Formats: sequence, C-alpha cells, structure tokens
Amino acid sequence: MRVALFVTCLADALFPDVGRATVAVLRRAGCEVEFPLGQVCCGQMHANSGYRREALALVRRHTEVFSAFDAVVTPSGSCAAAARHQHATIATRAGDEDLADAARALAGKTYELSEFLTDVLGVVDLGASFPHRVTYHPTCHSTRLLHLGERPLTLLRHVRGLELAPLPDASTCCGFGGTFAVKNADTSTAMLADKMAAVRASGAEYVTAADASCLMHIGGGLARLRTGVRPIHLAEILAAREGGAGA
Amino acid sequence: MTGPVRDRRAATGDGGRGCPAGPLDLPHASPIGQLRQREPFPDAARVALRDSQLRANLGRATATIRAKRAAAVGEVPDWEALRLAGAAVKDDALDRLDELLATFSERVERAGGHVHVARDAAEANGIVCRLVAETGVGEVVKVKSMTTQEIGLNDALSAAGVHAVETDLAELIVQLADDLPSHILVPAIHRNRSEIRQIFLDHMPGVDPALADEPEALAAAARRYLRDRFLHASVAISSANFAVAETGTLVVVESEGNGRMCLTLPETLISVVGIEKLVASWADLGIFFQLLPRSSTAERMNPYTSTWTGVTPGDGPRNLHVVLVDNGRRATRADPIGREALRCIRCSACLNVCPVYERVGGHAYGSAYPGPIGAVLSPQLTGIEDNWSLPFASTLCGACYEVCPVRIDIPDLLVELRARHVEHARTKAKGAARRRAGDALEAAVMAASGWMMGGPRRWAAATRVVGTLSPLAARGLLDHLPPPLAGWTESRALPPLPRESFRAWWVRTQGGRDIDGAPVPAPAPTPTQLPAPMPTQLPVPSRARDLPVGTPTPAAAGSASARPSPPVSAGASAAALLARFAERLADYGSGVWFTEEEGVAAAVAGRVRGGLVLAAPGLDPAWLAGVPGAAHDDPSRPAPELDAVATAVTACRLAIAETGTIVLDHRDDQGRRALSLVPDHHVCIIRAEQIVAGVVEAVEALDPARPLTWISGPSATSDIELRRVVGVHGPRRLDAILLGAPEDLPPSAEPAPPRPSAAPPTPAGGASPSADSSRRYRPGLRASR
Repeated sequence: MRVALFVTCLADALFPDVGRATVAVLRRAGCEVEFPLGQVCCGQMHANSGYRREALALVRRHTEVFSAFDAVVTPSGSCAAAARHQHATIATRAGDEDLADAARALAGKTYELSEFLTDVLGVVDLGASFPHRVTYHPTCHSTRLLHLGERPLTLLRHVRGLELAPLPDASTCCGFGGTFAVKNADTSTAMLADKMAAVRASGAEYVTAADASCLMHIGGGLARLRTGVRPIHLAEILAAREGGAGA
Repeated sequence: MTGPVRDRRAATGDGGRGCPAGPLDLPHASPIGQLRQREPFPDAARVALRDSQLRANLGRATATIRAKRAAAVGEVPDWEALRLAGAAVKDDALDRLDELLATFSERVERAGGHVHVARDAAEANGIVCRLVAETGVGEVVKVKSMTTQEIGLNDALSAAGVHAVETDLAELIVQLADDLPSHILVPAIHRNRSEIRQIFLDHMPGVDPALADEPEALAAAARRYLRDRFLHASVAISSANFAVAETGTLVVVESEGNGRMCLTLPETLISVVGIEKLVASWADLGIFFQLLPRSSTAERMNPYTSTWTGVTPGDGPRNLHVVLVDNGRRATRADPIGREALRCIRCSACLNVCPVYERVGGHAYGSAYPGPIGAVLSPQLTGIEDNWSLPFASTLCGACYEVCPVRIDIPDLLVELRARHVEHARTKAKGAARRRAGDALEAAVMAASGWMMGGPRRWAAATRVVGTLSPLAARGLLDHLPPPLAGWTESRALPPLPRESFRAWWVRTQGGRDIDGAPVPAPAPTPTQLPAPMPTQLPVPSRARDLPVGTPTPAAAGSASARPSPPVSAGASAAALLARFAERLADYGSGVWFTEEEGVAAAVAGRVRGGLVLAAPGLDPAWLAGVPGAAHDDPSRPAPELDAVATAVTACRLAIAETGTIVLDHRDDQGRRALSLVPDHHVCIIRAEQIVAGVVEAVEALDPARPLTWISGPSATSDIELRRVVGVHGPRRLDAILLGAPEDLPPSAEPAPPRPSAAPPTPAGGASPSADSSRRYRPGLRASR
C-alpha cells in the first residue's frame, strides 16, 4: 500500500527522529511510504491562535499536497485531528466550499499512526523491542477528538521487554495547548507540574505519547527538573529493535 | 500591562445601575453588569495560582464531583441521545425566540402574572428596584440566581436602600464574606469548612460561638439564621432554570429548600429570567430534568424542583412579576456560530472537568460566568473586546465539550472568538488594544511563520536555521530566552535541536534509504478497501422529533461505565416500579416503608415522633386514625404558623421510579406548598399505582397549570467541599409510605421497629389494627416478581 507521510512541521523541524521512526514502522508493516515535499504545516497553531487567514492558506496547501494519495498517515493525534475536524470548518467559515469538500474528502483518509496500524493494516506487533518501564500519556486530541482509546496501548503491549506503567489521572491535559503554553505560561506550568508528578509517580523511565508537541512540553519540564525521565514518541518505541537497531 | 477594560462601572461593580448606554464599537446595545474582566486572565490567574489553599480546595472538590458525575451519567444508557435532544430543543427555541416570548408572556399574564421586558442590566435592575419599592420593604430574600448576578442586582438594590439576603448556603457564605462567587453551582467552592466556620463566626448575626466546622453544623447554622427571614419575608427574587412558552411555566431546580421557601412564602415573587431560558413545550422538561441534575450535582434528581404558572389562589405568592432580560442575548443569537452558547443550562459540568479552572478557580475569569462556558459566554454577551483574554484561557483539551449536556462545542467557539479578537486587533483596534505588546509581537510571529510556511522552499530554509542553532542549544545558550519565549523556557527546557530536518534527511538519503525497513515476521494482509476513520461528529437533528431517542450511540456505549441496574421500562410491573422507586428514594436518605391499605394509619403513626401533626385538608381521615390529636391544615392560617408543626402528612400526585422522586401538585390531599415545606418532617403516602417509570412519563402525566413540587429525598446541600449534607431549609426528614397490593410488596422486608413515642399503645397479646405492620426498605431488597 502506498501511503503519504504527513510528518508535521514540528517533527520535520525539531523531531526528525519521530519522522524516521514512522517511516520505519510503516515499511515494516508493508507500506510503501512517500513523503510529498510540498507539505509544510496543517495550520493548527495559526487557527487555534486566531490567525485564520494564515491557517486558511496552510489548509489549502495541505489539501492540495495530500489529496491524491490513498491514505495519509501522521505521527500526531493533534494534527490528524486538525485535518479531520478543523480543516473543513476553516474553509467553510472562509466561504470556500470547494476547499471544504476537498478537506472533508481528505479527512476521510487521514490517520494517526496507531490508528492506521491497528484499524487499517490490522498490525499490532511490529517486532519492536524496548526493554524499559514506560508510561503512556493519552494526549487530549488523540483521546477526545480521535478516540484512539486502547490502540496505542495495544501496540505498546506487543513491544518486547516493555513494561507498561499506569499513569495516574492519565486523561488530564498536560497544559501544553499550543500558544497557551506561552500566553498563559503560569497556568500551563501549574498543569505541567501535576502531570510531571503523575509521570514520576508511575515510576517509568520513559513517558510516551502520540504527539511530539505534548511530549516537548512534558519532556522540557522533566529535563528542567533533571528527573531523568525521558520523553519518547510512540513511533520511536515501535521502531526500536533489539540491540537498539531502530530508526 | 494595560487593562482591556473600557468599563464604566466602578472596580467593585456598581451593577450597571443607571449607567447610560454609551457608544461602543460593539455590534449591539451595550450590555452592562458583572460580565467584564478587570484584568487579563493570565494576570488574574497568576494571583490565584499563588494561593495553594485555593488550589487544594478546588482540586479536591472538582475531583469529587467529576467522579460522581461520571457515575450518574453512566447510569443512563441513552445519554448521547439525550444530549442531542437537549441541544435540538434549545436550538429550536432560539430559532423561534420571538414567537415563544410572545406566547410565554401571554400565558403568564393569563395566569395572573405580570411580564416586564428589559433590554439590558440597567433596565432590569431599574424594573426590579421599582417593583420592590412599590411594596415598601427594606429586605428581600433571594434564590440563587446567575442572571441576577450577571446584572449586578444586589448592588442595585443596595443603592436603592434594599438589602437582598442570599439564601443559598454557598451564596450566603460568599455574601457574608463580602467575597465573589467562583463557581456557577457552588459559588463558595474555593472555601473549605474551616474558612466557612470562620466566616460564620465573624459575620453571621446570632451565631453560636461554639460552632463546629462539620458541614452538618454549618448547614444547621444557616438554617437557624435564615428561617425567620423566610417566614417573614414579603418579597422574594428568583430567576428560573427554564421558562416554558406553551404553558407560561417557570422552573427552579434546587437542593436546599431555600428556593421553595422563596417561591412559596412571600406575597410577591419577582423572577428575573434570561430570554435564553425559554423552551417551547412542557414535554421538553422531560429531557432537561434528566440532563441537568446528573450534569450539575451528579444526582439522579436534585432534592427539589418547583414549577409554577402565574399565581395560584390560596397557595404561594399573590403577585408574580417576570422580568425577561436580554443583556446581550439577542446579539449572541444573531451570531450564527456564537449562538450555540445560549444553549447553556448552567450545570457547571464544564467547570468541574476543566484543567484550567481547577487550577485557577472562578475569580480569574472576572465575570459572573467562570470556567469554559464563561470564557465563551462572557465575551459573547459583552462583545469580544471587553473580555478578549478569556477565549485564550484554554488548552482546547476538549473535556468541556465531552461533558456538556447540550453539546456546546466550547473549543470551537473559543477558537472562533480568538479569531475575532485577532481580526479586531488587526483592523479596528486603536489605542490600548493596538499597543498591547504581546499582541503585536504575536501577530508578527504568526504572520512571519505563515509566510515561512507558505511554501516548501521557505520552510526548508527555516528548518536549516534550526540546524545552525543546534550547537548553541547544546551548549545551553538557549536555556533562557527573552519574552515571549521566556514563557516557555522559565519552566521547560528546549528539546535538543537536530542538525538536520526530516525533509533534509529524506532528500539526502533519496527517500530514507538508510532506514531498516525489514518487514515484520508476519505482516497482516493489507485490506484493499480502507476503512474510514472513526466517525467523530454525530449528526445533530434539527428538531426534537427527529431524535434517535432510546438508541444508544456508539460514543455512549463506549464511554458508559458499569451500570448497577438498567432503567425500568415504562411497561414494567407494579412490583418492579415499586422496588426501584423504594431503592432510589432510600438512596437520598429517606425512610421508605411498605404497607397494605389497612396498615396505613399505623404506618403513619409509626413515623411520628411527637409534636404537632398536620395533614393535608383532603387527606383520608382514616389514615390519621393512629395519631391522636392530628389535624387537617386550614389553608387560611398564615404559613409562618406551620413552623410550630412537627410533622406534615400528605399524599402525592405521582412518583418516579428511576429517580426516586415524589411529585406533589398540591391538590386537597397534598395541601398548599407551605405545608410540606415548613415543618421539619414530611410523611408522604404513595400508592403503588401512582409510580411511573421515568421523568418523561411523569412530565407527560402532570398538569403544568398546577404548582408542582418535585421532591427527591430530604433537603440537602453540597455547598461545603461538595460533601452532601442532608437537611437544610426544607424538611430534614422525609418518610415515604408505599401503599400496595400484597402481591406487589417486597416479600421479605423486616417489620418496623417499635416506636418509642407517639404511637398509640398496642393492646397486649394480639394483632391490633393499630399495630405498625409496615416494613422498612433496606438496601439489597428486591421485589420477587
């Protein structure tokens, strides 16, 4: 199957390992992966910050770049949710019904990685090995907009050597919220403090999630406190092989 | 930072009284009142976050209510269909607002009430002040009301020389402490019991200096303090949870009985009602009486719901004034996106799940409406620029939308309002708004990033900059960035910056050729047809009648927690209805007793613990035969005299199995409303055939022209640390005597214990007709048939 990787602007610029891991996982699951170089950003940050003129241009580009593919896979619950829930609305409110139709069509074939693996490919065991104690943070958009539910946990349970540590109050937001993290930095930090306390209480060595953005926030807090608990994207765990031969 | 407030009221809020409507760059007449933030949310939040006691109080309270709500909602199999129905009914009412307002007003007038219309807070306050002045009183009692808070009525009354006594426990705490409410449902949620005890000791006249800090003791102190005021008040002010157009009925949903006191005892009742409270039909209440209590107090049914239509001769207030308030609602209704906010039924479920609210509390929102719904509603009512920072006070985590009983897509509305603020700043803002440095810088960053992301070449160039910064980051030189990025680096490290972007790697390796792409041992066969992603938006029916009622949706099925017992169906047997009703009523802390017809008199006598016993005028005298000295109420006697009565005995109109609710329509065998309210003990006799399955069946069977009192257990409050305390202003004891045919009664209930007092002496050695043979309900008891 030919799938287009929508790597997300954040992973492209700051977390290329997440992109490489996603490519590895998809190839192992039997997919031919393409990376359309015209892609940039889904526009979520602009839209959610109120800059819809900028967002509209990005939605248009995103839709043009990806519409020709059978399936678009992204290692981000939040960006998948933007394509699925936000793009058509942005287009409609800008009065562009053609774009809204195209966005809706694209939304119907846009998948977050764990969703694509379990629902579309029917793969839960990717032969991964990651002998560590890991806790999983269900990010808000992957939980409440995509309803990923057990999918990421099912994938993690099939990873060799991985010990899954339950995260207390798992579904509570970590406090990232895009520009919220900067505009309401104090409140964001208070939420982060509680999330970090939960991560530490889990006793995990790694905290993982389906979103690099939330992990950047949680991991940044954990690093500042020198807790030793490290953030790692779900795709990176799924790509990890015995002896460390991962992505 | 320069405040955004262009408010013409004083900092403490003069309630907008007498403020002339001035020119504002808003698309609608200026609504005034207590809706405007005085400082931007981040600044107000910073202050709140420093208060560790506040955070602890809020964290405990919201965690408690979240768990309770999940259980109460999980019990309803068609919750998702109910939410759709609630949304559709409210949307329909908004569509037909003018028609419904005309109908409502006509019905109220026809039923003996008077309707007044207020365009904004100042007009509403002016009308209420004038109505109160005409009565000549210097004090009024008030039912907890968001609408009167919104318009700042208490301050307006105070300026007119009238003291408004808040009678809801939490509102009383807030009022005594000269504090501000911080939650829609539990305004004193930010206070714990020891703080409340201190407030009472400092500010409550006549309080016992040895007052304990147990919630029970605090509630009892409030009861003592307010009882005299209820009995002697001649004017009460309420708002309404719902206003039914087709019948002209108003509805107040409450717990403590302070609402019933205010709605029943004074001669004059003034109800201040936002025009969005309208619903088209009486039957619509069957939806909201399920959605509201489970979402707000997380109960199957709140202890008391009162509905009234105009005035009822001989029962309740003789003068009813309804003040219909716009105050920005029509403008919100005209907004095709923002109008959704007017569906809100003020349950506060969104507050309780909001991670931002949980940490900063309600005061930071600076408006009568806090939390996620406040972040939408306040700017919708005032115009975005008066509350510009509120829509940004959210991570868009979506928890609010998930619990909203009327499916208000709060995150979507927040994003829309953000966009309007940004557009305002770009095109129209002058002076302060333009000068907000953060805004200008952010706009520049957003525009620049938008340009940078405008094409892959520019974007690739931008990602190369990251690579050049990588060595700096590695040396820790980017650990502390200047504003606005300081907001990030103050509490979080930057991630290690990569030397090469993903796209650069992809191009360099000609499509990621250096990746280990060996397939997994047994790849699953690839389906040829791709399944579509999970449906995430349920279709919203345009009218209530299009609803898939009773069909559990996938979302509901997926999220429902373990249910203790499925609902009883409308066609359930009398025995099943009786058993469910008994179980549910006992859950509230009521005594529930089973008897056959001939045992009623003894069962009534067995519940009496001495003191005066007064029955409804039309109650079967045979049922009182076991209580010497019991009398029938004379409705012409002043209601305050009922304070001397220990026990009131009434029948009921019907009862609801699923929620354990008794409904009185105050006909002769039930007595005037005050009878089952003022005495501290209520004995209610219910015939098995009066029990209906659910709320919907009850609404269908009831006559909205009658005043109705829905009773679900003894009066109660959860206003202190969200812990339920039984017994506030309404009866502290409720005994239900369930009268059924032998084959419908549960088979193995234990007999009533002998009563120490009041019960007539039983002749030795034999079954006397006056011996109490009723059997008390015990948990776990089930009907066998």
